[in-house]
Amino acid sequence: MTSQKKYPIPSSAQEDLEEALGIIFHCYEEGIREKKAILAMIADTVNSEIYPTLLQRGLVFEEDGKVKLNPEGQKLAAGITRRHRLAERLLSDVLALPSHFIDPNACQLEHIISEEVSESICTLLGHPSQCPHGTPIPKGPCCDRAEKSVESIITSLDKLKAGAKAKVAYISLQNHPDLHKLLALGLIPGTLFSLHQTYPTFVLEIGETTLALEKEIAEKILVRKIEHQERY
Amino acid sequence: MNIANLSTNAVKTGKIALVGNPNVGKSVIFGFLTGRYVTVSNFPGTTVDVSRGQLWSGGQKCELVDTPGILSLYPRSEDERVTRDLLLREAPDLVIQVTDAKNLKRGLLITMELADLHIPMILVLNMSDEARERGIEIDTNRLASTLGIPVVETVAVTGEGMAELRRLLPLAKAPLASVRYLREVEAAFDRIQTQMPEAWQKNLDSKLYAKSRFVAETLLANDESIWHTLERIFPVIEENSRLKAQTAVHAVLKDFLRPIHILTLNSRQQRAIEISGEITQITGKLKSSWAQKLGAWSMRPWPGYLIMSGILYLMYEFVGVFAAQTLVKILEDGLFGKILNPAVTKIVELLLPVPFLQEMIVGPYGLFTMALTYALALIFPIVSAFFLFFGLMEDSGMLPRLAVMLDRMFRVMGLNGKAVLPMILGLGCDTMATLTTRVLDSKKEKIIVALLLTLSVPCSAQLGAMLGMIAGLSWKVFALWITVVISTMFAVGYGASKFIPGARSPFLMEIPPIRIPQISNILKKVRARLVWYLKEAVPMFLLGTFLLFISDKIGLLGIIKTIANPLVVHFLGLTEKSTEAFIIGFLRRDYGAAGFFVQAQNGFLNPRQVTVALIVITLFMPCIAQFFVTIKERGLKTTLAIAGFVMTFSIAVGGLVNWLLKTDLIQL
Repeated sequence: MTSQKKYPIPSSAQEDLEEALGIIFHCYEEGIREKKAILAMIADTVNSEIYPTLLQRGLVFEEDGKVKLNPEGQKLAAGITRRHRLAERLLSDVLALPSHFIDPNACQLEHIISEEVSESICTLLGHPSQCPHGTPIPKGPCCDRAEKSVESIITSLDKLKAGAKAKVAYISLQNHPDLHKLLALGLIPGTLFSLHQTYPTFVLEIGETTLALEKEIAEKILVRKIEHQERY
Repeated sequence: MNIANLSTNAVKTGKIALVGNPNVGKSVIFGFLTGRYVTVSNFPGTTVDVSRGQLWSGGQKCELVDTPGILSLYPRSEDERVTRDLLLREAPDLVIQVTDAKNLKRGLLITMELADLHIPMILVLNMSDEARERGIEIDTNRLASTLGIPVVETVAVTGEGMAELRRLLPLAKAPLASVRYLREVEAAFDRIQTQMPEAWQKNLDSKLYAKSRFVAETLLANDESIWHTLERIFPVIEENSRLKAQTAVHAVLKDFLRPIHILTLNSRQQRAIEISGEITQITGKLKSSWAQKLGAWSMRPWPGYLIMSGILYLMYEFVGVFAAQTLVKILEDGLFGKILNPAVTKIVELLLPVPFLQEMIVGPYGLFTMALTYALALIFPIVSAFFLFFGLMEDSGMLPRLAVMLDRMFRVMGLNGKAVLPMILGLGCDTMATLTTRVLDSKKEKIIVALLLTLSVPCSAQLGAMLGMIAGLSWKVFALWITVVISTMFAVGYGASKFIPGARSPFLMEIPPIRIPQISNILKKVRARLVWYLKEAVPMFLLGTFLLFISDKIGLLGIIKTIANPLVVHFLGLTEKSTEAFIIGFLRRDYGAAGFFVQAQNGFLNPRQVTVALIVITLFMPCIAQFFVTIKERGLKTTLAIAGFVMTFSIAVGGLVNWLLKTDLIQL
């Protein structure tokens, strides 16, 4: 059976392996365990020859016609899923790519990103919990650390309290006309501002500019909270 | 411009454009340089139209053009487009860019963009007193040499620096921006420029060729509206060269992951920050002044809502009680009733022995006794008081804060806080307010506001007459009227927001600082608005009265009354004479209201009829002038739809209220 790959990119055996594990992980999330269904899915997106390799390497095992992940396989699968979804977030939020670019690019990136880089991306994005399509991103060690130390996380502007000072990290309005306006008004990444109030609308002070905006825009502005000592 | 005809030898400095961010004082400077007054206010986006005036520079007469404020020359809104188009189409010989000295970075961003147009310019750092107060010191000499253009510090409201600005006019130069763009972006511009229509390339030395980079960038920002402007400059743009440019644009855009206009904006912004960093020094920080504190308080729920209610109450006391009752009484009963009308009647009877003409001027439908008395004794004091109060709100910076406070309320109607400007101005004059709907972001919002202005916002003149009718009646009449008007406004606004296609645009607005209003500026503004208003209104009063007089004489009035009888007398439960009020209400709603006012004063209307009359005349069409302005702004089809709806709706609601009151569910 010739496999029709969804994204015809050159792939090594290792990449196919990771890809297949990612699919199994996704099937798990959806509650699909049946070997038949999983095999069909793998054949559809990667190739059918990869499955025996997974068994051979001891990454998966079979039980009552169901496919299960070994601890080793579980770890690899969660890792690849995490990198894929982080890549999606990076592409959509920071680089503001259109949606049809995101998936193919994320599929390539997930194999290239090292563990360290994925931690940096995760931190930059403020340890997001969901990918742009709304599925959960498996947690990494950096996320656990961040939960313990509350400071210096990226969060959206609408989650700040009145009186907070923060710096703009990035604005995730994709190609939206308001993006140009916000930038022209001086709300550019790296700019320090103080949040004057949150109700009835958000009001921020950026230098000598006072800006009023609604939650709809505030939640698209990602900011880094400033600790009290830090000066600009 | 016919300077060329006057003196062919002179160096041409024919046209000067004032350009800059919103609310930085362009209009004040315009006033200083030309001696002509244009509306100046502390609400961003007040100049929605271009104003022109004359200016003498170096013994030459020049035309000075004031433009709407912009954030960037790559327009995101209708008023920004006006400025961009003016710069391209009229190709001014000189640009005066006005910036807020304490917010230089944002001004410099526009300077960087203007540099692509290669027009000689002068940079004005206005409000330099405010900058000094905040300890911001600007090295203007260094700024001038960095940009290669003359720079002048001014305080426009006091006239400081104006003479210097005049002196510098002949020294204007095209600025050096030295922005570093990404290599890929530069390449993209080159690629588009080579695809531009041939006509532009042949004119290598023409102003337009120099601007083709600007055109390329505009096209890459996906702003196709520039073609329309270019066609005006070059009547023939061959369809295929246009297609060629468009194809190139699409090809280039595919190569970029981020929008190009954001990349160029970033590069310019970096340069602007660099320059402002080099030339500004912040010496010491000032503690926040009482004005800043007041500005901050008035946007918070507490005590913001209290402050806003206080302001509305003051407005009611000043306009509704002092002007509409005290002043009107003095003028109407005193000046006109006891002195002028009897005197004029005497004179007319002496000079014009023809009874027909006498009646036309001083009869019950007399041009003097009805129309002018009404215009001068009733309208004049009320409208002046309103504009005075509105001017104070505008110039102090309270109006944008009201926009913040009311944003949530306007959301229900598919609008956002920005709609405060037209809606409150509508309480002064609906026609003027319809013109300012241009400050709104989307077509949908403009239509909704035009509809609500037509339906629910009575103008100050009308409010005055109506408050007079209510005076002396039970509070329930007032409560019922205001409940019906406000609840129908929300209901219709909500319905329209669902019915009219398009998305609501989220609220995003710059809030200017609180300033102590300049009384002289407010007085000038009140005067300008009053003149405008009276020019609109008085001819309509005269025309309406004349039509009424004629129809009465030829018996048409009686016929109309008979036809309208079932509607006015049976359905609405009003008196037969009320038809007259509706007829003139077609011309001007406030005049219609005045008709009811007279009836009420003479005791012809019972409380139920007063209530119904109030509601119907509030919801009725505002006036002929507003109707025409709506056509101009929104098109005939939309306007007719609005008019049809408003007429049916106002009468239906009136009928319903009449029926409700007749059932005695509510005792007035």
